Amino acid sequence: MVDEQPRVGVFVCHCGLNIAGVIDVKAVIEYARTLPDVVFTKDNRYTCADPGQDEIRKAIKEHRLNRVVVAACSPRMHEPTFRKTCAEADLNPFFFEMANIREFSSWCHPNTPKEATEKAKEIVRMAVAKARLLQPLKEIEVPVTNKALVIGGGIAGINSALDLAEMGFRVYLLEKTESIGGHMAQLDKTFPTLDCSICIEGPKMVDVGRHPNIDIISYADLVSVSGYVGNFKVKIRKNPRYVIHEDCTGCGECKEVCPIEYPNEWDMNMGVRKAISIPFEQAVPLVYTLNMDHCIECYKCIDACGARQAINFDQEPEEIELDVGAIIVATGFDIYLPYDDPLYGYGKYDNVITALEFERLILAAGPTGGKVIRASDGEKPHTVAFIQCVGSRNLKKFEYCSGFCCMYALKNAILLKEKYKRDVEVYVLYMDMRTPFKGYEEFYKRARDLGVTFIRGRASHIIEDPDKNNLVIRAEDMTLGQPIELPAEMVVLCTAAVPRSDAGEMARILNISRGTDGFFMESHPKLKPIDTPVDGVFVAGSCQAPKDIPYSVSQGSGAAARAATILSKKKWKIEPIVAEVNADLCKNTQAKCGICAQRCPYGSIEALEKQPAKVITAMCHGCGTCVAECPSDAITQNHFTDEQIFAQIASALEENPEGKILGFLCNWCCYAGADLAGTSRFEYPPLIRPVRVMCSGRVDKDFVLEAFRKGAGMVLIGACHLPYDCHYISGNARMKARMDVLAPMLEKLGLSPQRFKVEYVSAAEGLKFAELMKEMAAQLQELGPDKVKAENAKLKPILDRMLAKKTQKKPPQIIQKA
Amino acid sequence: MPMKIQKTGSDTQLVVERIHHAKNYKLTLDCRLCVGCELCSLICPREAISVAKQPKKDGQKTQHPIIDVDEVKCHYCGICTAICPYGALHVTIDGNNIASVIEKESFPQLIREITVDATKCPTDCTECEEICPLDLIKVTSDPKTNKVTIEIKEEQCPTCRKCEIKCPEGLIRIRKIFTGKLTIRQEKCPTNCQDCLDVCPITDTLYLSEKDGKVYVNEIFCTYCGACKIVCPEEQALELSRSTIHHTPVRSGAWNKALEKLTSTTEMTKELRGKGRKKTMEAVKKRLEPRAK
Ligand SMILES: Cc1cc2nc3c(=O)[nH]c(=O)nc-3n(C[C@H](O)[C@H](O)[C@H](O)COP(=O)(O)OP(=O)(O)OC[C@H]3O[C@@H](n4cnc5c(N)ncnc54)[C@H](O)[C@@H]3O)c2cc1C
Ligand code: SF4
Ligand code: SF4
Repeated sequence: MVDEQPRVGVFVCHCGLNIAGVIDVKAVIEYARTLPDVVFTKDNRYTCADPGQDEIRKAIKEHRLNRVVVAACSPRMHEPTFRKTCAEADLNPFFFEMANIREFSSWCHPNTPKEATEKAKEIVRMAVAKARLLQPLKEIEVPVTNKALVIGGGIAGINSALDLAEMGFRVYLLEKTESIGGHMAQLDKTFPTLDCSICIEGPKMVDVGRHPNIDIISYADLVSVSGYVGNFKVKIRKNPRYVIHEDCTGCGECKEVCPIEYPNEWDMNMGVRKAISIPFEQAVPLVYTLNMDHCIECYKCIDACGARQAINFDQEPEEIELDVGAIIVATGFDIYLPYDDPLYGYGKYDNVITALEFERLILAAGPTGGKVIRASDGEKPHTVAFIQCVGSRNLKKFEYCSGFCCMYALKNAILLKEKYKRDVEVYVLYMDMRTPFKGYEEFYKRARDLGVTFIRGRASHIIEDPDKNNLVIRAEDMTLGQPIELPAEMVVLCTAAVPRSDAGEMARILNISRGTDGFFMESHPKLKPIDTPVDGVFVAGSCQAPKDIPYSVSQGSGAAARAATILSKKKWKIEPIVAEVNADLCKNTQAKCGICAQRCPYGSIEALEKQPAKVITAMCHGCGTCVAECPSDAITQNHFTDEQIFAQIASALEENPEGKILGFLCNWCCYAGADLAGTSRFEYPPLIRPVRVMCSGRVDKDFVLEAFRKGAGMVLIGACHLPYDCHYISGNARMKARMDVLAPMLEKLGLSPQRFKVEYVSAAEGLKFAELMKEMAAQLQELGPDKVKAENAKLKPILDRMLAKKTQKKPPQIIQKA
Repeated sequence: MPMKIQKTGSDTQLVVERIHHAKNYKLTLDCRLCVGCELCSLICPREAISVAKQPKKDGQKTQHPIIDVDEVKCHYCGICTAICPYGALHVTIDGNNIASVIEKESFPQLIREITVDATKCPTDCTECEEICPLDLIKVTSDPKTNKVTIEIKEEQCPTCRKCEIKCPEGLIRIRKIFTGKLTIRQEKCPTNCQDCLDVCPITDTLYLSEKDGKVYVNEIFCTYCGACKIVCPEEQALELSRSTIHHTPVRSGAWNKALEKLTSTTEMTKELRGKGRKKTMEAVKKRLEPRAK
C-alpha cells in the first residue's frame, strides 16, 4: 500500500449532441484542467460506449489516475457502468464520481447555452472536490437464500412462479383471494384469437398447484418484509378458511346442503355463492372456504362432510415466516366502477354495465349461463353500445390510457355479432382506437367486417326512458362535427384499470415507490422496466401499469429471469455505502445515548449500555439518518462523509454564492424527479447546484448552516413525499423533524424564511421540480443579492462559531490506496 | 347491472331487497300482521332486525313496538319467517316463496297442532270466528246440506287457544307452539301503567284488576311472544320465560343457538339431551366456553 496524492482524471461526454449541442464541452475540459489535482482530461462522443470506456481504462493505466470523474448523464443511469470500468482497470470502483451535466444542465437549459456551460463547469468542480476525498471501499458479500416469493397469482405471477420452479428454485406463491387466476379467470374469451380464457389459463393454474417446487399460500396477506436482497424475511398471515386444506377433497357436498347464499364478488356480485363454497369451478387450490360473515352455524356442512372431517370451526389466523432471496410483485389491477360519475348513470340505470360485468354475462359459466340479457326485463338487447375511455384519459380522473380496453371492446363486439348475428346492432363510441401489436389491427378489421359501427366521439350524457329502460347516449360525433343521439338497449362501459386499493400498503411494506398514477414504479422506464429501486424486488404484469395478457405473461417470465440472477448465486454483493461508528467518539460509553439506535429505520444499530454503538452492517441500508442524528458526530457514512459533502458545498459556492440555490436531493425521489425534469426537457432557471444524498435523512443541520455560512442564496432539501414514499421507511420524517427545529431558529437569526425550503418531490414529478425551480428563482430575484448578502453578513459570525468544531477539523486526509 | 341493495316501506309493508343482474332476493314484513314482538330480532343470525318502542303520545294507548330490518345485513336466510308465529314475514327468491333454511333443514318449522271437528258444529254457531283476536277464522255453512266448514289461516295463528276455550261443543283442540311462564309483579308496576296490556295482541291474556288497577295475567291464552316485555318500563315488573317450542325435528346448530336465545341454556340442553346428541352438545359446549370465561 502506498500513500498517494490524488491524481484525478476528468472525462467529459458529448452524448452525441445531447450535451455538446448545448454545452461548450471544450470550455468545460479547459476549466477542469485548472482544478486542483486534475492531471488528465478528455472528451468523448459517447463515454458509456466501448471506445469511451476503453479510454478511461487506458488513462488510468497510463496516467496513474487514482480518481475518475465522468461528466455526463445521471449517476442513476451510468454510475454502475463506470464503476465497473474503473474496477476493470484495477482501480477501486469507489474512486469514481459522476458529474450530471445532462439531466441537470444541457437538457433543462437548452436556450441558455452560456449559463448551461457555467453550471456544467461548477458541477464538474463539485464532483472533483468530492472525488479528491473519496476512499476505497470493499463490496460487502452476503449469502443468498435461493427461494423466491411471488405476490399475486394472476397470469403474471403464475408465469413467474412456473418459470422459477422450472429453474429449480423453491417458490412461495402468495395469493390474497381463495384461488389463483386473477382477472384472466373472470374473462370469457381473449383477444385477438378468441380462445376461451379459463381453458388456456386453467391448465397453467393446475400446473402451479401440482408443481413440487411451488407452495401456493392462498387466502393470505403479506404482513411485513424485512432484510435485504438475498435475505428477505417475510411474514404472512393465513386467514382461516374453516376448512382443513389437507382434508378437503373438493367434492362440494357441503355446498349442496348449505342454506345460505351471498353475493359472489368474483362474479362482480352478479351471481351468488354458498356460505361454504369455492369462488369458481376451476379454483386452484381446490379447497372450500366457509365465510363466517354469512354462516349461521347450522353445521349441516359438517354432517355432509362426514368422515372426512375437513371442516373445523375453531380455525384461527396463522402467521408464518419465510426466508426468501428475491420477491416478485404481481398484484395486478382493480377495475374502476364509475358510481361517482353521474354522466353514465352507472348504478342508477339497470341496463348500464361495466365491461367486466359484460364478460360475466356472456360467459357460459356465468350467472346467466352465457345469455346476454338486460337486468331490467331479462330480455336480450337488440342494440348494444360500448363506451370507451370511461375514467381513462380523463384529466379529472385517470390521466393514463388503460391500454387494453379498445381491444376487449372489439372482442366483445365481435362476440356479440358472432353470437346473435343480425339480431344485434353493435356500436363502439371511441376517442382513438388503439390497436398496436401483433394481430390486433387485423382484429379491428374483423370487427368492422362483421358490421360493428364505430363512432368517434365522447359521450356527454346518458338518459333513460323510464318505461322501457332503454337508453339514449348523447355524444359529439367528431367525424361529422355535430352532436348525435344514439339509442341503445344496453350500454357497456369500458372502465379504467386502476391500481389495487391496497397498493399503497404494499408499497410501504416492500419499500417500493408508486408513480403519480398510483401504480408501482419501475427502476427505469426503458432499461429496468421490471426492477424496482429495492434490490431483489421485481414487478410484473398490471401492477406496474395496465397490460394485456401477452405482455403480462412476458413480464412474468422476465421477472423470473431477473430474480434468478440473484437466486442462482451463492453470494450477493451489496454496496458498501453503510454507516460506521467511531467508537472513540461515541458518547454512549459514558452516558445513556442510543439516539442512533432509536432513529435507524431498520433497527440496524445496537447501542448496549456503557458500550459504543455498533452498526450491523448487513442490515444497514445506507440511508445515513443516524449520521445526521448523532449529537457527537461519531458516525460516518461511507462515500457520503461529512468532509466530502462539506467539500461539495464549498465548491458549489465558490463564486457568486448569493445567486445560487444549494440543493440536497435524495437519490430516489427528488433527484430522480429532477432527472425526469431534464429527460422531459422542462426548462427552468439554472440556479441549482445539486448535492446528491441517498436519503434526505442524511442531511445534517450542519450542511444547511455551512451552506449559509458560505453565502448561499437559498438552500433546498428535496425529499420523498411523507409519510410512506421514503425509500428508507422514515428517513424523510427524521429529516423533517430536524428541520422543523432549524427553520424557526434561522428565521430568528434574521434569515428570510423563503431562503430555506424543504420540499417533497416524487420521482414522477419532473414538472413539479421544474415549477419549484422557477418559483425559487423568482423569489430569489425578488429578495435581491443585496438583501441576501446583508442577511448572510449578519449570520456569518454566529455560524462561524456554531461550525467551528467541524470546519477546523484535521487537515485534508492522505488516503491509502486499497 | 351492479348489485343493488334497497329498502322501501309503506304503512302496510316493509321490503328489503338484494337485486342481482338476474336474481332477486326479497324480504317482506307485513306490518298489518306484525305485533312487534321480539322473536325474530332475538334469533336473526346477522342481527339485521331491530325492535324499537314507539314514543308514547299523551292520552293515547301505547302502540306496539316497530320492527326494522337492516337491508345491508339481511342475507335472506329466512330464519325470521320460520319463527314468526303471526306469519308476518316472507322471503322470496325470484318471486318464489322460499325459506332456504327450511328447505335445507337448517331450521325447523313451528308446529301448530290445531284440530277442528266441524262435522258436529251447529249450523248457526260462529263463536270461534267472533272470538279470534286476529280474525283468522271463517265459518261457513252450506244452507242446502247444513254442512259447516271452518277455515283457519293457520300460518298466521299463534295458537292462543281462545277459540278452543270458547267452543261450546269442545270441538277444537289446540296445542300451543310455545310454553313458558309470564309473571307480573304488581308491586313493581308504576301506578296507572298498562303498557303491556295495550300492546298484547291476544285479548284477555292481560287484564286490569278492578281491585288495585294493576295488570294481571291469564296465562292460558298467552302465546309467549314477548311484545309486552319490550314495552314494560320497569325492569323487574314483568318476567317472561319460554320453556318449550313445538317444532319439526331438525339437527342444526343454528336452531340450537336460536333455542338457547328463545328459551335458556338449560332448556336447550334439555332438548339436546332428549335427542341424545352427544356430538352436537360437545360442539355447543365448546362454543359457550369462551363466553363463560
Ligand atoms: C373487461 C376486461 C377484459 C379483458 N380482456 C382481455 C383479453 O381478451 N385479452 C387480454 O390479453 N387481456 C384482457 N384483459 C386484461 C387482463 O385482464 C390483464 O392483462 C391480466 O389480468 C393481467 O394479469 P396480472 O397477473 O397482471 O393481474 P391480475 O389478473 O389482476 O392478477 C393479480 C393477482 O394478484 C392478487 N393480489 C392482488 N393484491 C394482492 C395482495 N396484496 N397480496 C396477494 N395477492 C394479491 C389478485 O387477487 C390476483 O389474483 C381484460 C381486462 C378487462 C378488465
Ligand atoms: S354451518 Fe354455515 S357453512 Fe355450514 S351449511 Fe350451515 S350455513 Fe352453510
Ligand atoms: S440509520 Fe441508515 S445509515 Fe444508519 S445504520 Fe440505519 S440504515 Fe444504516
